[in-house]
Amino acid sequence: MHSPKPAWLWLVEKEWRELLVSRAWWVLLVVIGPLVGVSFIGAVRTYAEVSGLGGTAAGVGEALSPLVGIWAPTFSGCELAAVFLLPFVCIRLVGGDRQSGALKLESQHGMPAFARIAAKAGVLAGGWFIASAAPVVAMIMWKSYGGTLYAPELATVAVGHLLNAGLTIALAAAAASITEHPSTAAIVTLSVTVGTWIVNFIAAVQGGIWERLASYTPTAMVAEFQHGLLRLDMVLIALALVTGGLALAAIWMRIGVAVRRRVFESLALGALMTVVVATSALVNTSWDLSENRMNSFSERDEQTLSQIRTPLRIEAHLAAEDPRRADLERKALSKLRRVMPQLQVQYISATATGLFEQTSPHYGEIWYELAGKKEMSRITTAEGVLETIYALAGVSPPAEADESIFRGHPLAVPPKGAAIVFYGIWPVVVIAVGILIRRRST
Amino acid sequence: MITAENSSSLSGDFLRVAGVTKTFERMRALSDVSFSVRRGEVLGLIGPNGAGKTTLFECLAGVLPADSGSVCHTEQSIAPGDRSSFLFYLPDGIVPWPAQTVRWALDFTLGFFGGPANLRDDVIQRLDLRPLLNAPIGTLSKGQRKRALLAAGLLTPQPVLLADEPFDGLDLRQTREIAAALRTYSAAGRTLFLSIHQIADAARVCDRFVLLSGGRVRGEGTLSELCAVALSQKSEAPPKGLEEVFLALT
Repeated sequence: MHSPKPAWLWLVEKEWRELLVSRAWWVLLVVIGPLVGVSFIGAVRTYAEVSGLGGTAAGVGEALSPLVGIWAPTFSGCELAAVFLLPFVCIRLVGGDRQSGALKLESQHGMPAFARIAAKAGVLAGGWFIASAAPVVAMIMWKSYGGTLYAPELATVAVGHLLNAGLTIALAAAAASITEHPSTAAIVTLSVTVGTWIVNFIAAVQGGIWERLASYTPTAMVAEFQHGLLRLDMVLIALALVTGGLALAAIWMRIGVAVRRRVFESLALGALMTVVVATSALVNTSWDLSENRMNSFSERDEQTLSQIRTPLRIEAHLAAEDPRRADLERKALSKLRRVMPQLQVQYISATATGLFEQTSPHYGEIWYELAGKKEMSRITTAEGVLETIYALAGVSPPAEADESIFRGHPLAVPPKGAAIVFYGIWPVVVIAVGILIRRRST
Repeated sequence: MITAENSSSLSGDFLRVAGVTKTFERMRALSDVSFSVRRGEVLGLIGPNGAGKTTLFECLAGVLPADSGSVCHTEQSIAPGDRSSFLFYLPDGIVPWPAQTVRWALDFTLGFFGGPANLRDDVIQRLDLRPLLNAPIGTLSKGQRKRALLAAGLLTPQPVLLADEPFDGLDLRQTREIAAALRTYSAAGRTLFLSIHQIADAARVCDRFVLLSGGRVRGEGTLSELCAVALSQKSEAPPKGLEEVFLALT
């Protein structure tokens, strides 16, 4: 006689029960509250001061957006939890089956290994979703203070952190599946994470291909989403990596398959993932969902720039660690790439810091080339870059529209009650619910 | 020695295992292991510690890759990935789902593997699990856990159950009760293949035996068949009981 409930539903229920009795998950839940809380409280205090609280000149915070002032730092608590706590929850759920012997029993079901790992990943994503209640509490508190919430930018930040959690889950699942022991899996997972930080560091020093690579690390990805920028290439690459990580975990969960064959399958998967990631990186579609359009030029500028059909080439003589290069990239070129997909940028420098190149006659020059015409400028602001491009293209700069300027949402209110909620009520409620659930499940 | 070839001719084999070989690094754990499994029998895999019993079970169940060899059903070779349709392997020394209760583990086994739900209460009663139903598996003693997992194994739908050391951790009374229960389910049509290192336990419950030593099959058949083989190999007095047969053939 067969059960009316399908096997996969039994498996999801089993994974959910295993998550509920996992101490690692409850520790994550307890800790994420204070982690998010400390970031939120600090951000609200700073926001309030910049908005005029405590004697600061009112109006300073007019251009301050809650996205940058509140939500980017608040959600950074989630990023910490995703990097340092979530892997252990995942390893507990995936590696625990190998340790306890449950894997040997469950693998005798005809269900594909990917379906089994997908059930675990789905439950872990659900667990992360519950942990995300901490920033939701922060949003409720912010609203109660009289703050404004802009749903599209908040949704973008949430998507970024969900993808980041997905990457962590996939990485930890693969590590737990490949290695024999959970502690080895934890070391492997953290080593990969530290590896991505090293890539970021090298990118900051060396630039070039490293810079391109670093833009797809979880840290860089989360940073883009925290600025309200939804880049399709990043979403596709993240989804591909999540799927690839889970597929790798599935390959190594098949304990009855010869190791040699699993190695070949892993290599084939790696080759496939390289192609998918490289192809996805060519996608240039993005949406600036921030309320203050912090990733875009003004709409009028974008309309004018989109009329320039000729490919633009920029050659910047700035070293990777030169702050002017960071300025140029963040304030102008990243916005320009979104409007002019054919833009070519080349950085030229003899050193990483540029300190000893200052005396070089061409250092600091930014050359623009459009339809055979060349122009040089040293300005790194968005206005300066646009001015040079307009002059080169022979188009008149659009008139500045006063109504399109973001006026900000200053809020000079201290984070009243937040400390009690995040440092007191949150941990107590989580612990109480945890005890209740554990008692009920046994 | 009675081999899988001539044994299979005696009656219809449900499964035929042929030429299973497994090597770990440079150590050969199984060498050309061949035998047959008949429908509804209790087959005992007998061998000393390190004989390769667990390795053989894992290779048969497809949870450990064998270097070579096959498992056939009605002359059709069954790929390792498809063996879950015929075999269920219950490993020894595992503590699966340690935080979950025995009741949940049995229900999960029934639901996930699609086992015979009508056997649930009978298995619980025969294995005396009712007092343990609400206890988490991780809190059970070795013997209690063995009974709970054996119940889970009996509730799986595969026609053949491979149980590794099903009496390990049980006292004499429990061993007798479990042996009786196993005989009942075997009589009802379930084929049981039990790995047992205690020869007295094996003699109590099994219809036929496969003697494994040093990764090789040293004999296969009923006790009387094995006695005959032992006698033919040694010119001494006929062996009395399975222990002497085992010593004579290994």
